[in-house]
Amino acid sequence: MFTRGTLIYIVQRLVLITLAVLGVSSLVFLGIHRLPGDALFSEHLRGTQYELTLHHYGLDRPLWQQYLTFLGNMFHGDLGESLVNRGVPITPIVLREMSVSAEVGLVALIFTIGLGMSFGVIAALRQNTWLDYLLSTTSVIGYSMPNFVIATFLILVFGVWLENITHGNFYFEIGWPGRYGSIGAIWLPAFALGFPSASIVARMTRASMLEVLQQDFIRTARAKGLAPATITIRHALRNALIPVITVLGPLAMAIITGGVVVENIFGIPGLGKEFATSILNRDYNVVIGVFTGYAALVGLTNLGVDLLYVVIDPRIRY
Amino acid sequence: MAATPATVVAAEPIAPAQASLWSDAWRKLRRNRLALGGAVYLTLVVVVALTALVWTPYPMAEVGVGIPYSAPSLQHWLGLDTIGRDVLSRLMVGAQVSLLVGVGTQLVVLAIGVPIGLAAGYFRGVFDQVTTFVINLFYGVPNLLVALILVFLLGPSLTNIIVAIAATGWMDMARLVRGQTLSLRERDFIEASRAAGARPAKILFGHVLPNALGPIIVQATFGVPAAILFEAFMSFLGLGVPPPMPSWGSMAADGITAIRIAANLVIAPAVALSLTLMAFNFVGDGLRDALDPRQRR
Repeated sequence: MFTRGTLIYIVQRLVLITLAVLGVSSLVFLGIHRLPGDALFSEHLRGTQYELTLHHYGLDRPLWQQYLTFLGNMFHGDLGESLVNRGVPITPIVLREMSVSAEVGLVALIFTIGLGMSFGVIAALRQNTWLDYLLSTTSVIGYSMPNFVIATFLILVFGVWLENITHGNFYFEIGWPGRYGSIGAIWLPAFALGFPSASIVARMTRASMLEVLQQDFIRTARAKGLAPATITIRHALRNALIPVITVLGPLAMAIITGGVVVENIFGIPGLGKEFATSILNRDYNVVIGVFTGYAALVGLTNLGVDLLYVVIDPRIRY
Repeated sequence: MAATPATVVAAEPIAPAQASLWSDAWRKLRRNRLALGGAVYLTLVVVVALTALVWTPYPMAEVGVGIPYSAPSLQHWLGLDTIGRDVLSRLMVGAQVSLLVGVGTQLVVLAIGVPIGLAAGYFRGVFDQVTTFVINLFYGVPNLLVALILVFLLGPSLTNIIVAIAATGWMDMARLVRGQTLSLRERDFIEASRAAGARPAKILFGHVLPNALGPIIVQATFGVPAAILFEAFMSFLGLGVPPPMPSWGSMAADGITAIRIAANLVIAPAVALSLTLMAFNFVGDGLRDALDPRQRR
């Protein structure tokens, strides 16, 4: 499964990811500096205090010097200090928020695949019955519902209408309590993130299951007298999943981008929440950090998905 | 089109087959109830958006036409928002923004993606290699994140949103058109046209493009709801069209702050957005079944 070649491939990819992360952060760094206004504009600082603060962040130097310092710090993994919360280093915050986003995203991905596959298999086994139509319609609707709409309705149902039952227990704690979300807090955002993608998985699983169930080897398995459950899971589903796993990468990306909004709706202390907060606060250093974090998250997720392909499909080698 | 005699001879036997493709597609599309329903709904949205150009029940930006957070009533069918603006009027204007972004983006995508795809697939060579390299470079990078970076750096405005979404959107179109061109250029009727002395522009736009039109139309149709969704997403984050211009995304974002006292503020734009996206997807599904029977998702 994993060979020496795989290791070399991983190292190559990691180098590429590093370059991509540097590229993205440079683009944002240089782009921000041509925006109108001043990073400290909203603070109404005057005279020496203003000068001192500018100097503290190195903002009084020419752009090329700032950029070189920025690049140098990036190589040490240092993203600088927040402009709003003075003296707070950004790197640990971004790393922590990446892990929170990854946690929610991973649950959402498992959820997506589990729900989508079950829907697809059931719809295929009960083809052209009311159950099939119900599941197919649900998946078309789910595919068209933006994740933030689903998230909003979940808040409305569980947080407002059913508040007497849930008591708002599914929210993340405000701020960063020093630990990760429990499954009770994650399943709703994971549902909102995963449902649109689950619909795509369901449609694909249904189509490929229907195709596989027509094959001769399924008839052979039936003729041998195998249990229907064994045929469905061991023989049909395994083969039906091959086209489905090709969308794993796009699914993971949809979940990462969806988090940008859904985290804000559910108050999850991840990268998406920081994104909105930092843009609102015009905390440009944090904005650079957040985009850098997203670049890393996207790169690493893509690498992870590609390695997963190797595990799932033995024909793929790197 | 000033056709040389040779191309007329080459084109004649193809013409009846093409006509039957389109009429055949139309027949299939008419029988598809979901696609038809979607089309009817979208017509309604277009009518509403056009109406909002000249008339809305209340001025969409006027504050305090009633008490803020009012529930739906006969005077204000969808209630009033957090600062007392009429939600229905804002929803109608929001339809303009969504349609403009959706259709505008796809027009830009078509204008950039189709010629690049045609040229890359037909001429091959360095241009193809460079194009493929750029497209592969961005493969696996979520378009939405790129669009968010661009809108943040360019500043939020309607034009910049369209530019930011089209900046990566053209790649999918170019990839599709390139693939179609690659397979079409080997066909005999292209060869015949080339032998008859047709220029590349004539071959590409007269012969290759018409034969690749089905998949292109399908892809563009699916691109519209994607762009509308991106716009709503950006507006939700505060990176959308600047206020007081309403957008369904920013209306939902405003409404969610008042979800406890006036749920209609978030439900109205959310439902409008979802129905519109669904309608586009139904029409897209119908068009794909009708125009492009080989392609499946």
